[in-house]
This record gives sequence, C-alpha cells and structure tokens, in this order.
Amino acid sequence: MSAIGRLFDEFSVSRRPLRILGASGQLGYGIPTPALREGLTRRPDMIGCDMGSIDIGPHYLGSGSMAPTRVGAKRDLRKVLRAARTHDIPLVIGSAGSAGAAPHLEQTLDMLREIAAEDGLHFKLASIPADLSRDTVKAAIGAGRVHPLDTMEPLSPEEVDSATNLVGQMGVEAFRRALETGADVVVAGRACDTGIFAAIPDILGFPLGISTHMAKIVECASLCCIPGGRDTILATLDDEGFELESMALDRAATPSSVAAHSLYEQADPYDVREPAGRVDLRSVTYTKLDARRTRVAGASFEPAERLTVKMEGARPAGYRALLLCGAADPRFISRHQAILERVKGVVHDLVCEDTPEDYQLFFRVYGADGVRSWSAPPETWPREVFVLGECIAPSAERAEEVVRTTKQYLLHHGYEGRLSTAGNVAFPFTPPEVVTGAAYRFNVFHLMEVDDLVSLFPVQVEQL
Amino acid sequence: MQLQDIARVLRSKNAGPCLITFDVMFGNRKDFDRVCSQLHRLRTEVASRYGRSENEVRVIAYEPAQAVKITIPRDVMSGDPGDRDVYGAQQHAPLLEIEI
Repeated sequence: MSAIGRLFDEFSVSRRPLRILGASGQLGYGIPTPALREGLTRRPDMIGCDMGSIDIGPHYLGSGSMAPTRVGAKRDLRKVLRAARTHDIPLVIGSAGSAGAAPHLEQTLDMLREIAAEDGLHFKLASIPADLSRDTVKAAIGAGRVHPLDTMEPLSPEEVDSATNLVGQMGVEAFRRALETGADVVVAGRACDTGIFAAIPDILGFPLGISTHMAKIVECASLCCIPGGRDTILATLDDEGFELESMALDRAATPSSVAAHSLYEQADPYDVREPAGRVDLRSVTYTKLDARRTRVAGASFEPAERLTVKMEGARPAGYRALLLCGAADPRFISRHQAILERVKGVVHDLVCEDTPEDYQLFFRVYGADGVRSWSAPPETWPREVFVLGECIAPSAERAEEVVRTTKQYLLHHGYEGRLSTAGNVAFPFTPPEVVTGAAYRFNVFHLMEVDDLVSLFPVQVEQL
Repeated sequence: MQLQDIARVLRSKNAGPCLITFDVMFGNRKDFDRVCSQLHRLRTEVASRYGRSENEVRVIAYEPAQAVKITIPRDVMSGDPGDRDVYGAQQHAPLLEIEI
C-alpha cells in the first residue's frame, strides 16, 4: 500500500495530529542535514518542499532554466527523496525547477528519475504540469474573464502568444488529485506554495483555513523563526490549530516571529489568496508554548464565488550585453551624469549611421544611483564609483557592438575640466564587456476566471 | 526621532512583480502605538519620498507583529529593462529618515 493510502486508512479509523515537515523553501540551494535529520526523528507524516517563486525575476520563466545549479538541485532532491522513501512517507514538491513551466518540470522529473535509477528507489511519481493552453487564455480574454493584477495593463492575445512560457498557479485541488492516485512523490509545476502542504490535511479533513495558514508559513522552512533560516521546520496540525518548531536548535518560533512572517513578500498580512478562496488571518492568535515553539490558531477560509487562477508569463525582451568599469577621479564622478549622456549621444551617432536606434543603453552608477533612481544627487560624492553599462538590443551582436563602442568612447571622452586625459575609467579585467544573452520580461501577471481546475492542471503518473 | 531610530526591522521586498512592500517592525508597544497614531502623515511622507500620489500608497497597521506595512507600485516592473533592484530588497532607504 502507498504511503498516502496508509495515512487515509489510519485517519478513517481515528484522527490524530498530523506532523508536517517543511524541508526547504528553496530546493536546490542546500538543505542543512542536521535539521532535516532531526525532523525525521519526529516521525513526520509527509515532507514538503517549495522549489520556486516569481520573485527571482523573469529570466527563469522566460528561458526555461532553473535558478540553482543542476548539481545543487539534484543533491537536494536526492536528500528529500531518500528521506521520504526510507520513512515511506509522501514527498510533495511545488513550483518545480524555479518557475514551474514545462521545461522546469521536465528537468526536475529527469533528476528524480536519475536518482531513482542510481539509488535503486522504486515509487509512484505523479506530476502536474502548470502550463496553460494559449487558446484557453485567449478565449478567456475574449469572454472578459482575464483581469490585470496590480499595475498590469489588460492582457492582449498578442502578449499571450509572445510569452515563451505561460503558467497558472495551481492550488490545493490539483495536489489532492495527484495524491489521490496513490502517488508516493508529487511534483507540481507552478503552484501556490500552500498547495504543497495543505493538500494532505485537506484530504484528511483538517479545516482548510488553519491548514492553509500552516502551509503559508512552513513553505519557507525556518524563515518564520528567530534567527530566520532555511533549516527544516516541523508543523503539528490538529483541528483547532498548529504548533511550529524549527528542527534547528538555535532557531526559535516565537509568537512575534511567526506573526511577522505574514508580512513577508505580501501586500496584505491579513489575507492569503488561493484559487478557491481566501484565508482570513484577522482572528489568528499566536501562543507561546515554550522558548522555541509557538501555537497558531484562528485562520478561517472563505470560499470564492468564482474560481480564479493567477497566471504568469515572460517574453523575450532582446539580448543583453554589459560593460563593467569604475572611476576614482572626483571631476569625473561629480560630472558623470552629463558625461554619460554625452557618451550615449556619441555612441548613437556611431552605431546608428546606417541602422535605426534599435537598442536601449542604461548606466547604473554605483555610489550614486545604481540601486535607486534618486530624485537628487547626494550631498557629497563618494571616493569611487562603479559604472555598469547595460545594452538591450535585438541581437546579441548588436548589444555587444553598442557596449564595446560605449567602452571606447567612455574611456576617452573629453569633458570640460578633465585632468586625466589618458582614460576616464578603470577596467577590472579584459574584456570588460560581457554578453549575457537573451533578456526576458514579465508580460503576463493576470487573473483568469475558470469553471474547472481539473482540465487546466492534468495529473500524470509514472511508476519508477 | 527618525523611523530608523525606533524600528527593529525596516525592510523592502517585492510583493509580486508590480509592487514594493515595506515592513517596519517595532520592538515594543509604545513605539508601535506612536507610529500608528501618525499613519496618515507617514503615508504622506512615503508618497512624497517615492514620487507617488497618496492613493497609490497603502498603509496597514499589523498588530500581531507590532509592525506597519506600506505598499507602493514599482516604478519599473521587476526585471524589466532599466530595473535596478529585481527583488526590491534595497528600496527602503528613503524611509529611514522619516521623522516620527
């Protein structure tokens, strides 16, 4: 019998608290072994791992590549897979391969198949692609069922077609269907983090508000603790609430640290939005159990009138090339804005003699405005600045041409009051130009009303 | 007294790719209450320091963590050409010197 099957059978006879291990909030960047090992001594009923996020930027979704290295991702997958199979408990992974589109899911499944073959592990593997049919999305646009999120413009069919990858965030429902196949390991494409951890509790009849709140916290492992960290966390869930304990002895889940976690990367700390509804955190209580453990209760789930799916897409934005250099001359530093504008003009005149201006050239001057676009310059200039030039152009060759030309004319640009006539900038190495390749940007961040989640997120099963 | 003098945590991060959210956490009830009594002025200050209209600035007092959350639209969407902070983790500096 499958691990999940045994859990269903046991709970159909008598209920008890459910022990959930949040092994990693960023699978692929290393899972500290001592805390994972400690967690496994607590006889957990499942292991969950979040593997992705939209916060890492558009490159990964657009290109289909993972944010961590394959070596790192495979090492972490091996760790949690061996733990789950040794203890014969379900392993649930969400937002596979960083961005959760088909190439990310496929890379993750490939690694799991390799590990299974290499380590002689046998199990039932369910996977859930998150890629949306473009025809479905375009039909929804036509029916007025697609709505922009935050500051996005309305979605056009052209943007749908231009996204290299287009995914929807699946929720608890999709994970439930995958688990109900009797799978030992579930790997989802792009998913709400909560689905990873709330699906088994939902099947077993725990209140969805409480289990979703628990899921929202443990998906970041021990980030809700003092000091926050990536060590494995244990949640013990009952019908009234849940208890949190970091599996790293030097981390404490305190009422204020756990409450503060609701602020993290959320616009509203009282509200968790899911495809099937929202979780209201207004009445939540946080109670200290001891120095390292906190009990949380009081979240309630309100079903939505309409099912909605949050969509994410990224499209090509051209090709990127960089110029890296620095300056230490106070005359250059204090006049850099005018100098850089002038150099942009010189470059334009040279590279656009027989070609239209088909590129964008940006300068970020660290020490002045590298990190923020400030409304005014600083009162005193720093001793040195770092100048990052960036060109985005229709081809890598064009981007490279622009930054190489920029390098030459920035180096030798003659400005008023200049003393250092041999060169304006220092290069830390040669070549100081770097072609980073295709650039992407998010072009879909919209909500789609749907009638049926089952057809959007089909479950596939294979026996390894 | 400035916000940086009484905040235990003052941080920024994306809340999705279109928004930046600031969390200002306080170490005691007195400081939290003091800032809560000036939320309207805080909103005005944030709007002016980030070049936004007041109705684009959302301020929520979050009692469970003695924190104030402030959310504004990003000037450039996360990762778009010209963005300077893809994660939005270093956009909090203009808040540090707000007088409370």
